[in-house]
Amino acid sequence: MTRRVRWISAGLVAVAMAFAGCGTTNKKAAATNDVLRIPYLADMSVPDPDVFYDIEGNSVILNQYEGLLKYAPDSTKIVGSLAKSWTISADRKTYRFELQPNVMFHDSTPMTSQSVKASFLRRLHVNSAPAYMLMPIKSMSTPSKLTFIVHLKHPVNPFLAYMASSWGPKVIGPDAIKTHAGKDFGQTWLHTHGDGTGPYKLTEFSRGREYALTRNADYWGTKANFEKVLIKITPDIGTQRLELQNGDLDAIMKSFPASELASLPSNLRVIKRDSNLRLLLYVNTNKAPFNNPAVRAGLRSAIDTKQLVSEAYAGTATKSVGAYPEAILPNQPQLPYYPNATRAAAAVKKASTKKITLAYTADESGVQRRVGELLQASLTTAGFDVTLREVQLPDTYGYVKHLKTAPDLMLQTNTPDAADPDTWARIVFYSTGGLNFFGFSDKRVDTELDKAIDAPEAAATKLYQQVGQQVIDSNSIFFLGDVKDVFVINSDLKGVQNIPEYPWTVPYAPLKRAGT
Amino acid sequence: MLNLIGKRLVALVAVLLGLTVIVFALQAVIPSDPARAMVGASASPAAVAAKAHELGYDKPLPTRFLDYLGRTASGNLQSSLRTRNPVADDLRTFAPATLELALSASVLAGVMGVGLALALAAGGRLARLLRLMLVAGASVPGFLVALLAILVFYSWLHVLPASGRVSDSLVLPDGPTGLLLVDSLVAGDPGVFGSALAHLVLPAFTLALVPALAIARTLATTLEQVMREDYVRTARAKGLRERVILLRHGLRNSAGPALTMGGLQFGLLLAGIVVVEQIFSWPGLGLYLNQSIAFSDFPAITGTTLLLGTAYVVVNFLVDVAQALADPRIRTV
Repeated sequence: MTRRVRWISAGLVAVAMAFAGCGTTNKKAAATNDVLRIPYLADMSVPDPDVFYDIEGNSVILNQYEGLLKYAPDSTKIVGSLAKSWTISADRKTYRFELQPNVMFHDSTPMTSQSVKASFLRRLHVNSAPAYMLMPIKSMSTPSKLTFIVHLKHPVNPFLAYMASSWGPKVIGPDAIKTHAGKDFGQTWLHTHGDGTGPYKLTEFSRGREYALTRNADYWGTKANFEKVLIKITPDIGTQRLELQNGDLDAIMKSFPASELASLPSNLRVIKRDSNLRLLLYVNTNKAPFNNPAVRAGLRSAIDTKQLVSEAYAGTATKSVGAYPEAILPNQPQLPYYPNATRAAAAVKKASTKKITLAYTADESGVQRRVGELLQASLTTAGFDVTLREVQLPDTYGYVKHLKTAPDLMLQTNTPDAADPDTWARIVFYSTGGLNFFGFSDKRVDTELDKAIDAPEAAATKLYQQVGQQVIDSNSIFFLGDVKDVFVINSDLKGVQNIPEYPWTVPYAPLKRAGT
Repeated sequence: MLNLIGKRLVALVAVLLGLTVIVFALQAVIPSDPARAMVGASASPAAVAAKAHELGYDKPLPTRFLDYLGRTASGNLQSSLRTRNPVADDLRTFAPATLELALSASVLAGVMGVGLALALAAGGRLARLLRLMLVAGASVPGFLVALLAILVFYSWLHVLPASGRVSDSLVLPDGPTGLLLVDSLVAGDPGVFGSALAHLVLPAFTLALVPALAIARTLATTLEQVMREDYVRTARAKGLRERVILLRHGLRNSAGPALTMGGLQFGLLLAGIVVVEQIFSWPGLGLYLNQSIAFSDFPAITGTTLLLGTAYVVVNFLVDVAQALADPRIRTV
């Protein structure tokens, strides 16, 4: 062996050992008991609770900030958070919140009613998407350090639900509100920082790489078990799965392919919990063939929701029973979806065109594509010529301006902003609703929803039920499935609490490893 | 030479202008509503209209195009609809990771390509085996190479990491270049250097494989022709060793087509970056572009496209200059 070859060989061994060493380092870090590692498929928009209005990123907001109210685990029951109690006036226009004492912001200043008022005002000034929840406020007062009073312009039935919503107003500390306010109410500072009262502090925000949450040692409630939570941006679900299996991640909270749940190794377990996520089929009634009610009725007969849900979701969704998520409206009208191939085929014959486009929004788990393929098959059997097309969610917002060129049908999964029927109906059924992609419009629906928002509870419930029935009868939106939250986690991870209204996330504070 | 550089610079400006027009046209044709996407589903129509006005989406198309050209020329790429940061700032954040990956992959592709070509030129059984590998390797899609590499080196052998740019337990040096290999050396931090190198291996190899094979094929073919030339025969007759002839005479005279191929492959490499960064969670421009597309974040998409397009044009310009230096006949073209 020449000296040169020996040098090259030695170099290769050194490089291999260096790599092996790095691998070992990774393993040691993964085994560290006080670091929780969670992947995100994409960067969140911004960690500013008054701007953020997506789903991926909710855990960064909700583990860092707290609102006045929240939902109890595994229910839609509203419980106190920063407010320990609250009362509502007889005219339902005044809400009085008594605040928790001894609550400190992450910058170590105490939280008072003035902080709550300043945070509410900031949300109104920033005036981004979630600001709508505070628009009905007429005035706010702070009679004592721990009493906060809100006066509404008119009764707003979902007001408490707004306060408990994951996108509801959060109380933000003076670091953002005053020190770094700048000219944009602290928005620039809050792109990479945080100042809440929650069990975790945002200590790193490296876009494209990772976010770090560090335990708040001064937290007023039960302190978090993990010292640190690392949220890693890992855009490929396949890579996420391998890293979870190898112990480099602790849990996958979103988009795990349902078809792979049955083949997981023994060191992982699956948790399926109810959520308010719903799979909808939007129908474009503004052009042929679905501007014809008879053809839409035939479409209803062509859809077998039970088959769609069981085949595509593999036990991670159930057939929808009503126009609203089951948990948020009692005694709602039942969906009359009974597949009938003969009726479907007869209706298709009345269609002025058989060529239709079925769009589905892109999702990493592939489940929407699978539902699309199943629907395509059943609609083809009924006589349609179906083209399947994947679209990006933001593009779908443009359909309402281009209804004649928009797809004929579209599959999409959505969730209400809070566990209240108004937060669902107003964005999906109202003629100008943000998730009313094909511009469904029924004046009765709009009128009834306008009446319902400040009607007494029983009357409001009846109105929401009527609206649900009208939407069902129109065959303009089909309610296919109620999708579960699916978490795949390392078997040694305990303390998973699910809140149906906060999809794809869990509170990190109660999580711990077995034996710790 | 100056004439050639002048012509190429004019072409560069024309290509960038064309790219700008195409990107803007795509943005105008796609029926999306960026204002609604930005303010959210529950925002009132008035809030959506206000945001559209703020972003300039309510202006006529020609006005928007002129505004867009003016802004772009002055380096203002607007703010990202998703991150809310100026796009130029986002590009500065994400570009170093891509630059490090692209440079590493380019060097690797060059080294692998030349090495394979020389091995092929040497002939024998190894050359026949390599020829088979070239055909097979060129037909394997990049994402499959990436997945196989992760499966073998991360999941089975546990010797290389599957995602990210560096181990999350390390504290990163603060500059000066943003290239972790360089910065860690400057900071004298072998831990970060080793981790960054380990994280770079799989994505760089995945990205380099196809260009390396293309360079190898081109170079090997040209080498075979060159090695049959009269001046090579003369060199042999003078008693020069075969390796010396190959490296000193054969390689230099075969470099032109391989350089052209290298330049073309750099474009493919940039395209491949989008997929490779996605699979390996590499926090670079490809990942940024991918996330921006999913959000219909047109300012970000436009900015990234222009930057990658410029990189492609500049690299091909440099290849032209390198060719002209290697072969004086080109300078007069």
